[in-house]
Amino acid sequence: MIVVLLACSGEEPGDTQAAEDTSAAPEVWAPVEIDPDVQPPPLLSELGLTRWDGSALSYHDEALAYELNTPLFSDFALKDRAVWMPEGRSATVNSDGSLDFPVGTVILKSFLFPADFRAPADDLALIETRVLLRGSAEWSAWPYLWRADGSDAELHVSGDVQTIDFVDPYGAPRTAQYLVPQRNQCVDCHDQYDAKGERVLMPIGPRSRSLSGEVLTALTGTAAAGDSVQVSWTAIESGGVDSLSSAEVEAAARDYLDINCAHCHSPKGVEGVTSQFFLNHDNTDPFNLGICKRPGSAGEGGVDREFDIVPGNPKASILWYRTATEDIGAMMPDIGRSLTHDTGAELIWRWIAEMEPDDCQ
Amino acid sequence: MRLTTLCLLLTACGDKDTETGASDTDSPGDDTSEQDTEEMEGFPNTSCADHADPCVQIAAGDAEALQETSNLLVDGQTIVLAEGTWSMDNQVTFRSADGVSLIGQGMDLTILDFADEKVQTNGVDAISDGFLIQGLTVIDAKKDGIRVEDSEGITFRDVRATWTNKESSENGAYGLYPVSSSDVLIEDCEAHNSADAGIYVGQVQRTIVRNNLATGNVAGIEIENTQYADVYGNTATGNTGGLLIFDLPGNPIIGRDIWVHDNTVTDNNTPNFAPGGTVGSIPAGTGTIVLASRRVVVENNTYANNNTADIAIINGLAIEGSLDSWAISEGDLVGDLDGLDLDVGEGVVYNFSTRDVLVSGNSHSGSGTDPDLDDVVNRPIGTIVGLVYRDSGFPVDDVLYDAINESSSSPTEVSGNSNDNRICVGANTGGTYASLDLETLAAKMENFELPQITDVYRPASPFAPFDCTNLEGGDIPKIELGG
Repeated sequence: MIVVLLACSGEEPGDTQAAEDTSAAPEVWAPVEIDPDVQPPPLLSELGLTRWDGSALSYHDEALAYELNTPLFSDFALKDRAVWMPEGRSATVNSDGSLDFPVGTVILKSFLFPADFRAPADDLALIETRVLLRGSAEWSAWPYLWRADGSDAELHVSGDVQTIDFVDPYGAPRTAQYLVPQRNQCVDCHDQYDAKGERVLMPIGPRSRSLSGEVLTALTGTAAAGDSVQVSWTAIESGGVDSLSSAEVEAAARDYLDINCAHCHSPKGVEGVTSQFFLNHDNTDPFNLGICKRPGSAGEGGVDREFDIVPGNPKASILWYRTATEDIGAMMPDIGRSLTHDTGAELIWRWIAEMEPDDCQ
Repeated sequence: MRLTTLCLLLTACGDKDTETGASDTDSPGDDTSEQDTEEMEGFPNTSCADHADPCVQIAAGDAEALQETSNLLVDGQTIVLAEGTWSMDNQVTFRSADGVSLIGQGMDLTILDFADEKVQTNGVDAISDGFLIQGLTVIDAKKDGIRVEDSEGITFRDVRATWTNKESSENGAYGLYPVSSSDVLIEDCEAHNSADAGIYVGQVQRTIVRNNLATGNVAGIEIENTQYADVYGNTATGNTGGLLIFDLPGNPIIGRDIWVHDNTVTDNNTPNFAPGGTVGSIPAGTGTIVLASRRVVVENNTYANNNTADIAIINGLAIEGSLDSWAISEGDLVGDLDGLDLDVGEGVVYNFSTRDVLVSGNSHSGSGTDPDLDDVVNRPIGTIVGLVYRDSGFPVDDVLYDAINESSSSPTEVSGNSNDNRICVGANTGGTYASLDLETLAAKMENFELPQITDVYRPASPFAPFDCTNLEGGDIPKIELGG
């Protein structure tokens, strides 16, 4: 609010000065002027929050870059995240761990593919940047597609499917049919039912349990703990699923399912609630968790498999199969991946394998 | 080109003073497809001249324009598609706007083809109150053909959902799929070759499903966890099962008041090709199943040549034996439960019962001659029925009742059969009737004894004690769609 007023009052000289500074010295950022209640500009650069120099993204000095301790898998894409809030404003944490951000907040999430994930900083292709704007009434979502030459990203609402070749973190060549979601597909994951049963668009990643205490403290302006995830995903990727204790497998699997599935598969999930299959970390009902639960319809995911989870028998469990397969028509999540996340599938396998066996008969 | 079209659309949306969708057309720099809509070719049956503003016409095959319009919707947006075929690599999605209409030139003229879809998505996927889809075909969607969710007031008219390959488990699940919605009209539509249900009305309050055609699906027409449905004038032929009424276990909308009349349900003998799921348990040759449902009327329909049986009235426990699966917390229940006789537990209601069913005035011919008994694991009911009748010398009876949870049943004595669930077939004089006492028959099979026709209660018309001719609690109210 303050930022906007300042920008308006000092409009003429300020604008000129800012524009000159920007071209002369890229690390200087102009005051942010974003109306969160209208469609954002056609070029990402016009938001004035991020730049790409061909090898890394930089952010406005008022923005906060952050990471999630258990990320959503998106065909291995590296993700670069930042949030900008109007000066002097901060976020608050709700009782369920979600965050309320102030009106005017902008969340940026960019998707990058290195040629070889074993050298993740080298030879990066920047594909898209997704923008969430906190308007006065609600959030809105806006996808920007980067030009092939990396000069800027263009607002592109109609989506795209790109064929991307790379070497995965395990050293294997992979080809993703990477989906840049169309604008309406943003809500497939981001819409949640609120307490009144209304659909509202919500950020998914930034919750107290997925953020470090440092980031949470910076966002809320008060000392905050954050980070209730017990096993960091980085540790799982580097050490392998076999390195985990049974207790860690249980915790890590539930965290993994929570971040990858629960935006739909929870009582608040618009797209998944009809399934009554709930993978949110705080679901304690074994039936809703899929234990010996027959799906209403699992499409091709139900071939030769009868139950979402057959305890002790991952191979017979639809949950494992649908997260491990690359067969379009059978895979889960519906959108956002075309490739198997090997480590994630191994984790789910081990989680189900170590359950008390039950043949569900 | 992409950004030009975007700006053009935004101009049209933002400027409330411009007259009609046709005014989009004189903006400079646009491609020819959007110019001069009044004279655009390919709109023989309807154009923006027939529809209120805001309206956009889209030329044949212009997938990019269709996606850009869909992703920058305003309330009341009408999209008129030309005659022709669109090759789509992603679904057509409608969100964040009410009163959206997608209108083609007719189901034979406007085709949305999803064979090249690169991701696991539906054909058309909408959340929009007052949604209308009309005059087009959706073919080869990876998941569902047309899915509309969480919307009040939905119309499907003159649309077809189909898949190229017949009897393929790789086809999409549902053809026309309104779900978790209210006030749904489906009329003059077609659904073919889906690997689950062709027309699937799920978790809906108030629906009219009339004058549609369903062929080659595992389930032709399904009404699931739905309250107040009028289903008439439809033809379900050549499916695995024709027309099914049921509740899924534990779903918080308890199905009730389903009126199925004046339909044609014939030759539903396609081998079950479902990849799994609930419909995988439907025996080929099934006309109608009424399962885990209350207050259902099946009357004046034409049944013929369904090789297993025309009408089966079945308790939900026959397909899901776990009571817990059917438990719904009282606080979660949705919709109208007045006057329903439901089984209850501590703090929970169960929706497995099938109760208050009237079967009346249907015609039956040529069915029950070749029951689907081969897959005891996936379709045990088909196996039991098949074994019972195999050496009987006559076809399976037209109307079957499983008698689960009846206080008494007897293969021989009228007085030995209770009718606690008020199953009324007294006025169904065109067909035969049998109580199968499924629990007893299944127990015999588990003891490696073959069930016999002598295990079955087969009364003569009017089928006492199932000879009542009225629906307990009064007729199903005539359905007026709101929204």
